[in-house]
Amino acid sequence: MKTLFRILGLIAAILAVVLSVLPLSNLAFIPAIAALVFGLIAFLMAKQQQEPRKSIQLIFILTIIALSLATYKSIFSESEVGNTEELEKTEQKSEEEAIEELEELDLDDIDIE
Amino acid sequence: MRYLIVALLVCYANLLTAQNTAVSSNEKLTFTAAYNMSGIMTDLAEVTMETKSVKTSKATLLHLKCKATTYSKWDNFFKIRDLYESYVSPTTLKPYLYKRDINEGGYYKFMQYTFKHKTNTVESLKRKRRKDGTTWDEKKKISINSGTNDIVTTIYSIRNLNLDNASSGKTFNLKVIFDNAEYNITLIYKGKETLNTAIGNKSCHKLAIQVNNSNVLQGSSNNLLWLTADANKIPVYAKFKIPVGNGELKIKSASGLLN
Repeated sequence: MKTLFRILGLIAAILAVVLSVLPLSNLAFIPAIAALVFGLIAFLMAKQQQEPRKSIQLIFILTIIALSLATYKSIFSESEVGNTEELEKTEQKSEEEAIEELEELDLDDIDIE
Repeated sequence: MRYLIVALLVCYANLLTAQNTAVSSNEKLTFTAAYNMSGIMTDLAEVTMETKSVKTSKATLLHLKCKATTYSKWDNFFKIRDLYESYVSPTTLKPYLYKRDINEGGYYKFMQYTFKHKTNTVESLKRKRRKDGTTWDEKKKISINSGTNDIVTTIYSIRNLNLDNASSGKTFNLKVIFDNAEYNITLIYKGKETLNTAIGNKSCHKLAIQVNNSNVLQGSSNNLLWLTADANKIPVYAKFKIPVGNGELKIKSASGLLN
């Protein structure tokens, strides 16, 4: 049982670290919390049976790294729009074509200014 | 992802062609689109709605433009560069030309509708891209009902609805043409609420949106739209639920408002 919690904790902690470095960093909180829970259970079991806790320490270290990174990113990183040069060209071309199309249309029922 | 974009747009649907008292040229609204990923709302894209006057030799039209652009951190995963445009009468918001140019994670589609109001028809042009990069066109002539608008025009014309005297439960029935098909949309007035938004605390009209002959929007009260309860009636918040998840649209900034 204690091995199961250590493995689950380790998997969740690694997943949290991986997610925290991706744009999906907000999702890292879910496996990080799971890793903390598994790690805590594994820690209590290991404490009762007086066993080494190196792998549990690793779970907590990885989880702390993931949580710190995810929290930092959620507070300080601003969402910015990427390169829109191509879209701007499309807009310009589209407008030029639209004006040509509109010149051909029957706009009799519109208010002429 | 197409569902998401459609839902964001359908979230505003309406088709009244009353006199325009809310939309001016040189108006710019910016929104943040967020999507629910495993229970966490994640900002995905920026949506902008702009208006501009466009002159032809015969008339001055209002150019309505909606753009959806994914944030740079998502571009490597799923890049969206969508452009939806409509050229309308500045006084009645009656559409004459509609264009949709979408580029979503490598998927490309172009749609153009030329409205012929005298015959209640729409000349449609669809352009898609093959895998080898070449494109193919499909032209169609579609009959529409009187008062059917494109999606961009409906987004804007909803702001001309008379909501000030509306009582809770009042419905507005609308018709929208999208992807060469006509959809019936019902807006249900849900009363007033005050929302804390990026442009301040706003008293808002709350509307529920239903698409009657489509399953693009799920549930009868999951798709909601809040418009400011002033003369501009700008959309400040929207919630939507689509077959692949749910999300929201929040206003970031607003400029060039008419009133």
